[in-house]
Amino acid sequence: MPKEIRLNAFDMNCVVHQSPGLWRHPRDRSRDYRRLQPWVDLARTLERGLFDGLFLADVLGVYDVYGASPDSALTHATQVPNNDPLLLVPAMAAATEHLGFGVTVTLSYEPPLPFARRMSTLDHLTEGRIGWNIVTGYLDSAARGMGAARQRGHDDRYAVAEDYMEVVYKLWEGSWADDAPVADKERGVFADPARVRRVTHESPFHQLDALHLSEPSPQRTPVLYQAGTSPAGRGFAGRHAECVFMSGPSKQVIAPRVAAIRQAAVAAGRRPDDVVIFTMMTVIVAGTDAAAQALLAEYRRYADPQGALTLMSGWTGVDFSRLDPDGIVEHVENDAGRSAMENITRADSNRRWTVREVAEHVSIGGIGPVLVGSPATVADGLEAWIDDTGLDGFNLTFAVRPETFESVADLLVPELQRRGRYKRAYAPGTLREKLFGHPRLAETHPGHAFRFI
Amino acid sequence: MSREIRLNAFDMNCVGHQSPGLWAHPRDRSWQYKDLDYWTGLARTLEAAKFDGLFLADVLGVYDVFHGNLDAALRHSTQVPVNDPLQLVPAMALVTEHLGFGLTASLSFEHPYTFARRLSTLDHLTKGRAGWNIVTSYLDSGARNIGLTGQAAHDDRYDVADEYLEVCYKLWEGSWEDGAVLRDRDRRIFTDPAKVHPIRHKGRYFDVPGIHLSEPSPQRTPVLYQAGASSRGRRFAGAHAECTFVACPSKAVLTKSVADIRAAVAAAGRNPHDVKIFNLQTVIVDATDAQAQAKWQDYRRYISRDGALALGSGWLGIDFGRYSADEPLRHIETNAVQSSVDAFSSADPSKVWTVGELADWIGIGGLGPLFVGGPGTVADLLQEWQDETDVDGFNLAYAVTPETFEDVAAHLVPELQRRGAYKRDYAPGTLREKLFGRGAQLPETHPGAGYRDLRSAAGPRLSAAE
Repeated sequence: MPKEIRLNAFDMNCVVHQSPGLWRHPRDRSRDYRRLQPWVDLARTLERGLFDGLFLADVLGVYDVYGASPDSALTHATQVPNNDPLLLVPAMAAATEHLGFGVTVTLSYEPPLPFARRMSTLDHLTEGRIGWNIVTGYLDSAARGMGAARQRGHDDRYAVAEDYMEVVYKLWEGSWADDAPVADKERGVFADPARVRRVTHESPFHQLDALHLSEPSPQRTPVLYQAGTSPAGRGFAGRHAECVFMSGPSKQVIAPRVAAIRQAAVAAGRRPDDVVIFTMMTVIVAGTDAAAQALLAEYRRYADPQGALTLMSGWTGVDFSRLDPDGIVEHVENDAGRSAMENITRADSNRRWTVREVAEHVSIGGIGPVLVGSPATVADGLEAWIDDTGLDGFNLTFAVRPETFESVADLLVPELQRRGRYKRAYAPGTLREKLFGHPRLAETHPGHAFRFI
Repeated sequence: MSREIRLNAFDMNCVGHQSPGLWAHPRDRSWQYKDLDYWTGLARTLEAAKFDGLFLADVLGVYDVFHGNLDAALRHSTQVPVNDPLQLVPAMALVTEHLGFGLTASLSFEHPYTFARRLSTLDHLTKGRAGWNIVTSYLDSGARNIGLTGQAAHDDRYDVADEYLEVCYKLWEGSWEDGAVLRDRDRRIFTDPAKVHPIRHKGRYFDVPGIHLSEPSPQRTPVLYQAGASSRGRRFAGAHAECTFVACPSKAVLTKSVADIRAAVAAAGRNPHDVKIFNLQTVIVDATDAQAQAKWQDYRRYISRDGALALGSGWLGIDFGRYSADEPLRHIETNAVQSSVDAFSSADPSKVWTVGELADWIGIGGLGPLFVGGPGTVADLLQEWQDETDVDGFNLAYAVTPETFEDVAAHLVPELQRRGAYKRDYAPGTLREKLFGRGAQLPETHPGAGYRDLRSAAGPRLSAAE
């Protein structure tokens, strides 16, 4: 039985997410990101396509590395302006029944107590469909916006993150027993005080002596996503992540990262398939190969190389405006995310990138690959990626919003279903049940130890 | 033409808000607070009745003064468990067009840079219907639990609040000029960078150098609510608040409170009627006086006295668990409680209030007044209160939800409309336009308007910080 392919949509509450310039395409609706209705429509489209979830990125900063100024990011709307992703979820949840929601939240910027309550609230309102993409912060401008001179060193922020996770596990898993809320109208008793307890935490980073304010939600701990592929990030993901999201331009780059994540899970005492791994991917699919290629050519007319380099500069911490367009990109070490730089320098010894090639590649679907073709061609490509890399699925970006997702739901999904590689109906239950078959954190997960029995 | 009465609904993302025990009433749905359906249904009901807004309370702490523990609060679900109010709004906004949303958020729990983006997002998604109830206070336990120690924990919280607002105003009002967002497809320019400004805020409590992440929303600054009752709180409200919320048990107390607030607004250089004042109020209304009285008697059977005293102990800062039900309140010698008790018993000074009677009073509608009667009776009372106190409207708490609000829609609103004391249609535009009939954004007299031009000056300084 071939492995089922999982699909998430990858989006962000902004104009330009991963395809700079394409907001100008006549059919693109990205400019409507400030309205609820397009998000609700998108959620319905994704549910029609049996997507596991909508993964919402976020950045609390501006891409101001390119040209050492925010001007290019503003001009090209590359992830600025951007709005809070969390607030999109309740409206989309009201219009759907099965679609999961992976929300990116940086743990550097909110204390654990109110944050834990926010996520519990979302898990209640979505009836157990919430996931949290744990981010430890990566733009210096974000740290500066919060009053820090610059962000913490790369490894140090994972120490803070470990401590933060322990606090939120205590709140989600350990404050209320399953049988604490009794809601007994006859006796007039809502909760049994003997089954609710304060949680305490004393560390250099966080102090807590409090009750979790929310009663237990369907999943308690939201499904945990992580995107770090650096050594420190990989260790963190191996311990905590239930889903890992990565991005790279080729199978050669991705396959060893998939293996490394599964090894990190095993090293943390978990099973290799306790982690579901997605890579970023863009699909341009149409009725025939020729029609899809024509669509790509049409999209390319709107692509914006400077916007692409603005994103790339933010991801790598290197100002691409100062590099020779035809020069080869060389590796640089800094505190920004490390995998973006790895992707175009050391990760694939067979491939060297010029600045111009980076700009062209990144302008549709960011650093991820682009598969173009008929449903059969694209399905072949996706199957090969899964089979050759050990991946579980894809985070699909859009070239044109929402057209890219509509074509996936209408053209690609039926082809994958015919091949027996895609579900024909959602599994019942919460997001975690749909992904793993069990409603709560696995026994092998570190959060499990904090349960109030 | 009678003066217009404004109505907000007052609710909270929890089981039983101001009427402890009534969650067990067979028709009460407050225990379904975790379901979006409850909230979207409520929002539709309120919009059909032309409520100005839904005011969502919040408490990031627990009622543990009563008997010195949490048992009564948990057993009777007095505002615990309590979920985040913010996330209710987008789902309700989706099914309504006019209803405003007053969201309570404590500025102690989130950095202004991220908080400002959250509120801008909400204002975008609601198309200009967002309000923020500014809470400056934090329980000692709350401060400890978010890691606030040292300077910020010991300084005057209103000084912190003034600077917090200054940062927000700079982000909301000053960072993006009108016309900064071009969306020009042909010239490939989304935003004109020359019209977006880093706020370069460097203060005593916050350093925020960068630009606001959100483009300008319809109202920019959300409609600002405040509920501070201390003299320093009133000064803060006088400077910032566009709506204030009070919880006065009698006309005498409310009259003084309204006058004090309007004086504080005038002292800040604003028109005293630039602030809309709402009093906490509960009404049990039905087709006739007799039916309303019968409904009240039915509700009363569900009051939880322990739940009421758990709330009362938290609000008044005294452990009523140490006293018997027939203990007269005047025998409880505590300054804090004495002033509060004096306040709500002043409507009937000859009466001797006991702990048990306090529990019954709180049991439906908390510390606010309760009116019971047919449409004419309740409308008479509301108009009388408005005429005598100069209050603008009422924050209506529920006894049984959504029944209380449905009864208001069915019986009270038509009566007030008949009297010309209630709108027949919403005014067009944003929440601010609906409330004040002027522009969508802060008026020139509001201190936030002083931060619109960050290029020429740093704007007026509200805080002592430098």
